[in-house]
Amino acid sequence: MREEVKQIQRLLEEQVYIADAAIATALYLSMTLGKPLLIEGPAGVGKTEIAKALASALDTRLIRLQCYEGLDATTALYEWNYPKQLLHLKLEESSSASETEKEAMIFSEAFLLKRPLLQAITEHDRAPVLLIDEIDRSDEEFEAFLLEVLSDYQVTIPEIGSIKATHRPHVVLTSNRSRDLSDALRRRCLYHWIDYPTMEKELEIVRAKVPAIAADLAASVTQVMQATRTMSLSKIPGVAETLDWANALVALQATGLNEEVVAETLGCFLKDESDVAAFKAELPRICTDSFTDV
Amino acid sequence: MSDLGVERLVVFCRELRSHGLSVTPAEVVTAATALPVIDTTDRDEVFLSLRSILTTSVDDFQFFAEVFKRFWNRSPVARETLAPGASPKKSPYQSSKGLAFFLEHWGSSFSAGAQPVKVPGASDTESATAKDFSQFTNEELDEVSRLARRMVRRLARRPSRRWRTGKRGSRVNLRRSLRLSLKTGGELIELAYKERRPKRTKLIVICDVSGSMDMYSRLLLQFVYGLQNSFAKVESFVFATSLARITGDLRNKSYKRALDRLSANVPGWSGGTRIGASLTMFTEQWLRRVDKRTVIIILSDGWDTGEPEQLAASLALLKNRAGRLIWLNPLLGNGDYAPVTRGMQAALPYINVFAPAHDLASLRALEPHLMI
Repeated sequence: MREEVKQIQRLLEEQVYIADAAIATALYLSMTLGKPLLIEGPAGVGKTEIAKALASALDTRLIRLQCYEGLDATTALYEWNYPKQLLHLKLEESSSASETEKEAMIFSEAFLLKRPLLQAITEHDRAPVLLIDEIDRSDEEFEAFLLEVLSDYQVTIPEIGSIKATHRPHVVLTSNRSRDLSDALRRRCLYHWIDYPTMEKELEIVRAKVPAIAADLAASVTQVMQATRTMSLSKIPGVAETLDWANALVALQATGLNEEVVAETLGCFLKDESDVAAFKAELPRICTDSFTDV
Repeated sequence: MSDLGVERLVVFCRELRSHGLSVTPAEVVTAATALPVIDTTDRDEVFLSLRSILTTSVDDFQFFAEVFKRFWNRSPVARETLAPGASPKKSPYQSSKGLAFFLEHWGSSFSAGAQPVKVPGASDTESATAKDFSQFTNEELDEVSRLARRMVRRLARRPSRRWRTGKRGSRVNLRRSLRLSLKTGGELIELAYKERRPKRTKLIVICDVSGSMDMYSRLLLQFVYGLQNSFAKVESFVFATSLARITGDLRNKSYKRALDRLSANVPGWSGGTRIGASLTMFTEQWLRRVDKRTVIIILSDGWDTGEPEQLAASLALLKNRAGRLIWLNPLLGNGDYAPVTRGMQAALPYINVFAPAHDLASLRALEPHLMI
């Protein structure tokens, strides 16, 4: 493996993010080639976490744009500060400034409200990490607009002119695949898929993120979660749920898992009534499978 | 490939392309710029890097891995040995025979009151609402058209979450108002407003006109015709053993003339049904028209002579892409009917709404499902 890739892995590990070679390579390429990285995967596997870990590893700012339906340029890019503009016009009422001068004044950078995309482009210290979270929730218009910004990292504001990125931000996009993204956007990005972790990796994550947990409790928790994911549930628990559950068990000072403890705490990782029922039916089997050696 | 250079890379990309994975020139360029910054002798690193650049979806991962493995080992890629599902896409266009015959006789099955089949779900009263479509008279058919038009009009009037500048509106457009105020020396005299942009729901109707649907297809086509002739965006298709787009045939004509045109232009009526193949044709040609604002309505009884796997695969594609997938099955109006045919069984997991379409009430009940 290349030294830089290893270094990224080490840096992320310092931020308590367990990164495999695939994600480290993807991040390395994304930074070297200056291309956005599109990360897809089921909910709760740590897609958003990557951007956060990357930002603190690079010791730079994390700028987050949460997408939702109806998100448009004024919320994502910039908006004029209208109250301030109005106030300024009132104050200038008696001045002899001409209409053009007044216009130039109130449509200057001092009256501009920077939204996440513009912030990411105008950050002057160093390249920030721009996290565009759940891009699949935004609508097609926004995707097209985003494509424009991501292609040359330049924004044109009619009243001011073009603003070009001082430092090209490290862009991470995440998607839960709730809808298909356009081919154009996909092709503009490097692609990475995060799946549910393997037993070993999940155990590693639990022990890293919940240091207070006992070794065999961590192992049982992971085993139960891995078994749960093989069931056909309407909402499969992710790593986030595993960590919630592990934290809850530590808080309850549980020393080991048995049927009773699992039944009491399963609300930590099952968030659906029918899933709970299905899980309870399977509970004895899962317990004998997972805790025979405990 | 241990000495991976640009030339070898281009050959590799061509290899991917020839197996159906679309790799754009821009992606090849990106891959080429990545070569100097990666260790091209490290197989895993090359693999991970190229996968990240050249694929755009996890669905391509397995396929990519197979092509890469063969390529790295310098062995010629044998297409036949690719795993199932990774094979290049086959075109489903297959001509079916006997269609002309059916078309000629299709009109005759239209005579009013043809085949008065009793459906247990329908009531015996003469009210048009509960009357089964198979027993409809021509006058009652007009009601169907009206209903369809009313539904689409209501659809087109709903506000979306996006704003546009308008003369009237619920909110002041501050940006524009400020600009206007400059004319009057900074005094806000004239206000500009913004209003909700209407929600643009698109409808795609795919109607089964095979033999088993005969008693219903006349009526459902009338419904499709009504939808088509309102001002919303509607695309309509019919299929039996293959798919035909009839949007243009239905538009701006009397129903009778529209039907004449259909019989002249659509080479697809027959006794058989191949839903899977027809829907695959749809996904290959028209999938680009489908987005999250699109409601797809499939009108079919689910009797399919094709493979259920093909039906499932194309429905999976559609479900992923469309806002809502509605399957209207006239047989569902029959209380004794259960969707046990292989085709229907394969389709059910992908359908958002599974509803009957045998009388006016069932069509009316459809309206809330069209709102997305």
